[in-house]
Amino acid sequence: MLDNGKYNENNKWLVDALKSEPGFVLPDNFADRMAEKMSRKFAWGQYLREFGVYVGVVAGILVILGVVQIFLVGADWKDWLDFVTKNLPVVIGVSFLSIFILFTDRVLLRYFLHRSKIDTI
Amino acid sequence: MNDAELVQQIINGNSNAFRFLVAKHQRLVLHVVGRIVQRQEDVEDICQEVFMKVYSKIGKFRGDAKLSTWIARIAYNTSISHIRKEDRGEHSYDENPKLVAAETDELAAHQPVEKEEVTRYLMQKIEELPVQYRTVLTLFHLEEFSYREIEEITGMPEGTIKSYLSRARNILKEKLEKLAVTEKTNIFTEYA
Repeated sequence: MLDNGKYNENNKWLVDALKSEPGFVLPDNFADRMAEKMSRKFAWGQYLREFGVYVGVVAGILVILGVVQIFLVGADWKDWLDFVTKNLPVVIGVSFLSIFILFTDRVLLRYFLHRSKIDTI
Repeated sequence: MNDAELVQQIINGNSNAFRFLVAKHQRLVLHVVGRIVQRQEDVEDICQEVFMKVYSKIGKFRGDAKLSTWIARIAYNTSISHIRKEDRGEHSYDENPKLVAAETDELAAHQPVEKEEVTRYLMQKIEELPVQYRTVLTLFHLEEFSYREIEEITGMPEGTIKSYLSRARNILKEKLEKLAVTEKTNIFTEYA
């Protein structure tokens, strides 16, 4: 009987210890900070997707214009190819600059504005 | 709000829904990460990593398991990867972890009569157990997951989980009995 009582007491202590909180802690504002991080990540992904859509739309319009010029107006695509190959650095420079400006406007500026809004809240 | 609605809100970019998810599951993640990693200075960073992984992968959550089980699995895998990276194989993660060697029980040399002291002693002994034992003990006793859920979280077969639980409890019981004997001996020594 005595041994049985001791066994039960030992078991109770063991269960108590197993159900006790380990001594690790997270800051009180942990959930808020994670929500901010998530919000920033979501915004970045969203702005990148929108940028992709813009680039796709602009590229699509240019392709349609080209097709219309070649097939309906009768423009010679070889002249265009000559123009591009002769002015390759200018064409690459203008394309790069346009994409960079669009990226800065649609992604970077909006992202930093979003971050500053979160920081001020 | 049920798990499916919460997940949908998070996918739609609702940061309040994500805040709610973190607040609801941070205790679980903290326990899993803390018991595996055992370093307070790393715990916060790993918990952050876990929740960012949860956010990144939330679109893949199909609702086959409970959200808590899914999050616990991410926490378990992230913590195991972390200690593997940190310790480069010093820990044992094999199927049969080495039993804890007989070490010096500082408290056993004293007279732990208070209940809190015994609980603290046992908790210290839990921390000294191999990582698999600590993990299954935490998931089963502290978080009250079923064997099936622990299997989903850790990938260990149910039989192994039961065996680890039983062996871990036996180790702790032995420690407790040893402590009781030492205590009795100390009392006799004191009154001799």
